[in-house]
Amino acid sequence: MIECQNLVRDFGEFRAVAGVSFQIPRGTICALLGPNGAGKSTIVKMLTGLLPPTAGTISVAGLDPAKDALALKKICGILPEGLGLFDDLTIEEHIALSGPIYSLSARETSARGDQLLRLLDLEHGRHTFLSECSHGMRKKTSLALALLHNPRVLFLDEPFEGVDPVTSKTIRDLLAVIAGRGITVFLTSHMLSIIDRLAGQILMLRKGRIVWNSEISEVGQPLEDLYFDLVEPPRTEDLEWLGA
Amino acid sequence: MAGGIATVPGERQIASGKGVTAVLRAVGRVVWRDLRSYNSLTGNNFFLFVLLLAQQLTASLFFVLILGLLLLFPLSADPLAKVPSERLEAWPIDRRGRVILRLGSMLLSPAAWITIAIVAKTSSVATGAAFLALAVCAQTISVLSARLVARAPAWDLLRWIPRFPGQWGGLVSKDLRQMLRVLDFYLALLLTVSGILYRLLSRQPDPEAFPILAIMVVLALSTYGQCLFGLDWPQGWIRYRLLPLRGWQVLLAKDAAFLLLTMVLVVWLDPLAGFAAALGALATGHHAAVYTPVPQKRWRFTGGTLLPTGLIQAVVMFGVGVGARRQGWIYLVPDVAVYLLSVVFYGRKFDEISAQE
Repeated sequence: MIECQNLVRDFGEFRAVAGVSFQIPRGTICALLGPNGAGKSTIVKMLTGLLPPTAGTISVAGLDPAKDALALKKICGILPEGLGLFDDLTIEEHIALSGPIYSLSARETSARGDQLLRLLDLEHGRHTFLSECSHGMRKKTSLALALLHNPRVLFLDEPFEGVDPVTSKTIRDLLAVIAGRGITVFLTSHMLSIIDRLAGQILMLRKGRIVWNSEISEVGQPLEDLYFDLVEPPRTEDLEWLGA
Repeated sequence: MAGGIATVPGERQIASGKGVTAVLRAVGRVVWRDLRSYNSLTGNNFFLFVLLLAQQLTASLFFVLILGLLLLFPLSADPLAKVPSERLEAWPIDRRGRVILRLGSMLLSPAAWITIAIVAKTSSVATGAAFLALAVCAQTISVLSARLVARAPAWDLLRWIPRFPGQWGGLVSKDLRQMLRVLDFYLALLLTVSGILYRLLSRQPDPEAFPILAIMVVLALSTYGQCLFGLDWPQGWIRYRLLPLRGWQVLLAKDAAFLLLTMVLVVWLDPLAGFAAALGALATGHHAAVYTPVPQKRWRFTGGTLLPTGLIQAVVMFGVGVGARRQGWIYLVPDVAVYLLSVVFYGRKFDEISAQE
């Protein structure tokens, strides 16, 4: 479903992504892990057509993001890094705006929107302008927009960060169900405990390179330990002035 | 936090010493940075017009007063409101410190500086006091309306924008709301009201004045035509790139909002000249809107590029506006054709740029 070969992205002299290759089968939840600045969001942007690669090839559901951008946008649901929301619209208005653009009827948009707002606990704030929403509400709104048109592939950039525990569990359960129905989910996250239970495939990224690519069953040790071994060990420093 | 004083045992309270000075310094820095956002006026097409008129002080005075009146609302804002209230409450500042902070922040207000400048220039305390009273009134209106909207969101007039039907109807509504969040619209509204009053109150209104007035209303809005993505920047721009829409569809939705608002304002003056000028403003503004989107701030004048875009827009607007008035509806045909070509051409450019970022 998602395939990329020797993906490279340079920003001037800096190589953010250095020859990344992987394949993700249909209906898989694949988690891309790595520290801040490792290149996770850059990869998501390239897979979704928001950023052209410097080199390499990408195929998402048989489409090339560079050549078939419009067709790809129709079948993808995307939760981007910056959330991509309009400050001048309310949560409900975002739903009402998006539905028709993806050729949903007004009734369908309204019915699906109501369900999503209920599921994501956004009902109470549906008339709130996005500029007045908390980060969690903004994230959930962007997620609702990613799901609204029933995409075949989901790209979620850090979907669990800033979200309350109940909604986090709801999202987790939802992703597991829709993956079972054949939707491919590609997500990035720092929440290793969640990924441990959710993902079917793990990719670990360090300085723009894949250092681990396997099914979760092949990890063989707590995900956190593997991450500290391969990606980055935890830092320790005694701030002796704290509590002195 | 009784009396606004930190209650953590053993915590040092910031009295009226260095701590308060540090807060005031930070507020001053924020106010100073915020003042730069008013620079947007110097990139507004209407400013160019006022500048040209400034050769004749009496002719430009009316427009300068309107601009000043509109700017008074953001300029009179409470500087202390720039500190997040949670942060302000969290700082261990005692009662005396808070009084000093309140008084000090008042002096940091641009309205206070202008008052002092007026008194120094005119040597008239009464004139300064009158200006200060006006600033206080503007601030009171702003605060009361903000509180009203917070308590009863239905009173927010911007929520009353209807939801338009069709695939891009939501985008048109959103763009209309954005246009109502810049001062350009209120300048255009004041010009329209002035024109209507002239028509109603003048014994023999000059019919030649109305096309010019309509074009001036469009001129007041025209900078927005070269900054169509200014209020979307940066997150809305990302959303546009995620939506399965062609560039020409995006531009058309934005232009529809612009034309709709323009027509509501010019229909009382000269709809034909106004419509023709609006199409001209959009056709010549697309280049800057797509290639160099300038981020804009709400409740400020839109700031674009005066040279060459603003000048070209102004010349085209007056040319096609006056032309349409003199030649009639037939003059609109080439105007519409050029406009549509611009939508198609810059729609493609939008698609190319979207794929390259």
